[in-house]
Amino acid sequence: MNDWARLVKDVENEYVKQARESGQKIVGYACLATPREIFDAAGVFPYRLKALSNANTEMADAYMSRFNCGFCRSCLQLGLEGAYDFLDGLVETNGCDHLRGMFENWQYTRPRSFFHYLRVPHLTDPDSVQWFIEELELTREALAGFTGAEISEDSLAEAISRQERIAGKLREIYSSRWSDPVKIKGSEVMALMVLEGSVPPEVFEKIVDDVLKALSSRPGLPTRARLFMGGSATDEIALIDELESLGGLVVADSFCFGGRIFRETVPGDNVIERLAKTYLYNLRCPRMFEQYARRKDFIVDMIKRSKADGAVFFHNKFCDLHGIENVKLRIDLEQEGIPVLLLEKEYGAQADIGRLKTRLQAFLERIKR
Amino acid sequence: MMTTLAIKRKPEGLFNRVYSLFGVLKKLPDRLSEEELEGVVKVLPPDTANTFSSLLKPSIQEAGLAFLKLLLTWLEEAVQAKKDGKKVVLLPFNFPPEIVHAFDNLYPLTSEVLTTLGVAALEGQGERYWNYAMGLGLPDHLCSANTIELGSILTGVDFKPDVIISGASGACDVNAKIHEFVSLYMDVPQIILEKPTDDTKRGRAYFLKNYLRMIKELEAVAGEELKEENLYRVAATANRCTELYYDLWELKKHVPCPVPGVFSLLLAGTRFAMWGREEAIDVLESMIRVSRRNLEDEEYNARGEVARLIFTYLSYYFDFVRFYDWLEEKRINTFGDFLQVAFLKPIDLTSMETMLEGIVDSAWTAVMTRQMGSSSMSLKWIDDVVHVIKEWNINAAVYCGHHSCKQTWSVFTITRNEIMKRTGVPTLGLQGDSWIRNMTPITVIQQEIEQFINNVVAPQGRRRRVRA
Repeated sequence: MNDWARLVKDVENEYVKQARESGQKIVGYACLATPREIFDAAGVFPYRLKALSNANTEMADAYMSRFNCGFCRSCLQLGLEGAYDFLDGLVETNGCDHLRGMFENWQYTRPRSFFHYLRVPHLTDPDSVQWFIEELELTREALAGFTGAEISEDSLAEAISRQERIAGKLREIYSSRWSDPVKIKGSEVMALMVLEGSVPPEVFEKIVDDVLKALSSRPGLPTRARLFMGGSATDEIALIDELESLGGLVVADSFCFGGRIFRETVPGDNVIERLAKTYLYNLRCPRMFEQYARRKDFIVDMIKRSKADGAVFFHNKFCDLHGIENVKLRIDLEQEGIPVLLLEKEYGAQADIGRLKTRLQAFLERIKR
Repeated sequence: MMTTLAIKRKPEGLFNRVYSLFGVLKKLPDRLSEEELEGVVKVLPPDTANTFSSLLKPSIQEAGLAFLKLLLTWLEEAVQAKKDGKKVVLLPFNFPPEIVHAFDNLYPLTSEVLTTLGVAALEGQGERYWNYAMGLGLPDHLCSANTIELGSILTGVDFKPDVIISGASGACDVNAKIHEFVSLYMDVPQIILEKPTDDTKRGRAYFLKNYLRMIKELEAVAGEELKEENLYRVAATANRCTELYYDLWELKKHVPCPVPGVFSLLLAGTRFAMWGREEAIDVLESMIRVSRRNLEDEEYNARGEVARLIFTYLSYYFDFVRFYDWLEEKRINTFGDFLQVAFLKPIDLTSMETMLEGIVDSAWTAVMTRQMGSSSMSLKWIDDVVHVIKEWNINAAVYCGHHSCKQTWSVFTITRNEIMKRTGVPTLGLQGDSWIRNMTPITVIQQEIEQFINNVVAPQGRRRRVRA
């Protein structure tokens, strides 16, 4: 598995370089609400922004503030430093207030030739679904205008079918942890999820196939406890690895670089409607209103299926959406007999790891593991 | 014969305590002399006394008293509404209350106005309710503007709303999310009004649909249909309020400005609680009378005016009106914060449809919704600040840096840069909670503002005069 573990650590990996050399357009996006299938169908390389635990945010702090989420500031920092100069364009989403600010600052300081705003509703009622269908049509038009190529129904259907196939294989890896022995760590699964947004789909599918093959011959991992994790947007693979070093393995999660990536397909009259409904109904982010019960049920179901001994929820400092939601989750999950640990953290801060490990160690002892 | 000793329990909860304190107002005459005022404030707790003495000082007493009485009516009517079996609707400040006033069986209360009243009037400034919310594990980067009041509701001993309208999704995550938390935790139904971050016709059409859906939901809660005559009454009164609002706007253009800075607080409170009600007209008319008198008598509140200052988003409310008095003592005329900057239009009273369109438009352009809920947070905000700076001839801007305002903080640098480019007006960026005194003491804020005015704004004015 060494190859993909190495690949995930680079922002501008070899496939990005190849795409640039071949003249393929690369467009950055950040939020799970962005259907990458439309980009694929347009022949565009969709690249999901990541910050890889980058804790240096000096330049970004001059534009955003210390009262903004560290993940967004770290992504902006990389953008300001030029690490993302390979991007031909950006697609903004109104995922949260911090994310909006990040995109506005990015476009203000280092404007890209292509910039599109995908406005995602906060509700899933029929009017909101219709709104999102139109938004996806506008995205399709914008990308077609940018590339000069028509995005046909067939090419969209093909891209959707490929993504579903990849998701199916990924789900196999993901849920392999639900039975004993656990053969793949949570940090490794997160690395795969991060990589999914950094390489072309055909490359990623090949990697997933390789991982699946290798998994069967892997020995089981020593497991002190089985943990569920969730919370704010994070791609801190090293942090999860450090925490797992205490013996509590992550067997399921609801991170947006994680379990939230899986969607149940919702039928529609055409491919765009199908895509819109599938993405919106499966957007298990606390930004969505009137959906708390569904999110909680999803988490409880994952905990039960994965036989997790307890749940750990993080929130990045100043992330209100998760900071508030986590409290309600703790109350409700504990009522169902599931032990919960809430952790607030500063994104990418190495100095925080000792404190977080101490808290987790105490939690493991609390749940008698 | 046995006698029972009735022990009157002290009221618990922010709303109940504020309501109880405001009972004092009923005993006050229409006009208080300085001596009488001094006597009244002596029997009040220090924070309440501070607020009352500033609002009732002779130079603005007419308007201050009208405002306090408006608030008393607002609180009393909410209590009465509950007793009468009506439904009390909790709103965020960026949701204009007119539509709720148009229902016979509904009554609006605004989270942020209640918090401000608690901070202004209660011993301990409502901090115990913030602490209660923190005690539940909620993060300390929430917005005190609503969490103080909502923390009080979460205690379970305070006045509980029957329904919550969440009008901040799309404009402020923390506001929308904490209202959702209270709804779930206290089992209070919530109605969401989604504002798309899209200023085009399409965005407006979607918002209109959402607003009309919200009215249907309110009708279901109220058990009545929205009546045309009620809407007409509220819309016509709101139109009169709007006329008076623009009269005050015009008065602010005078140099020096004859409108006392504290009136911005009165304006915001009136707008968020009682717009569309006769009591709002009384407050607005009294503010205009005081300002016109100042203009005629050349009795300006900041004689010599060294600066004309606007808070580009929020101001500080924990020292309540005394902060405004201090600014004026320093000859800084403050034009208030952006909470009271509204871009109101008269509502067309021709039909139910036109009135609804007007009401929806006022919600679309409500503060925060208008700026942070727009296609670009920074661009719309900059446009509005620049407009106000030009209209009122402002020469100093302060961003208060309330730590919870993640959206404004995230684009503050762009905003500051562009305001400077377009108007030459410098912006001071501060850090401090607007409703909690412990975060940044008022003395620190005062020092920063004073240095900014003395070292940046005043020399700029001198340079301009030399060039002229």
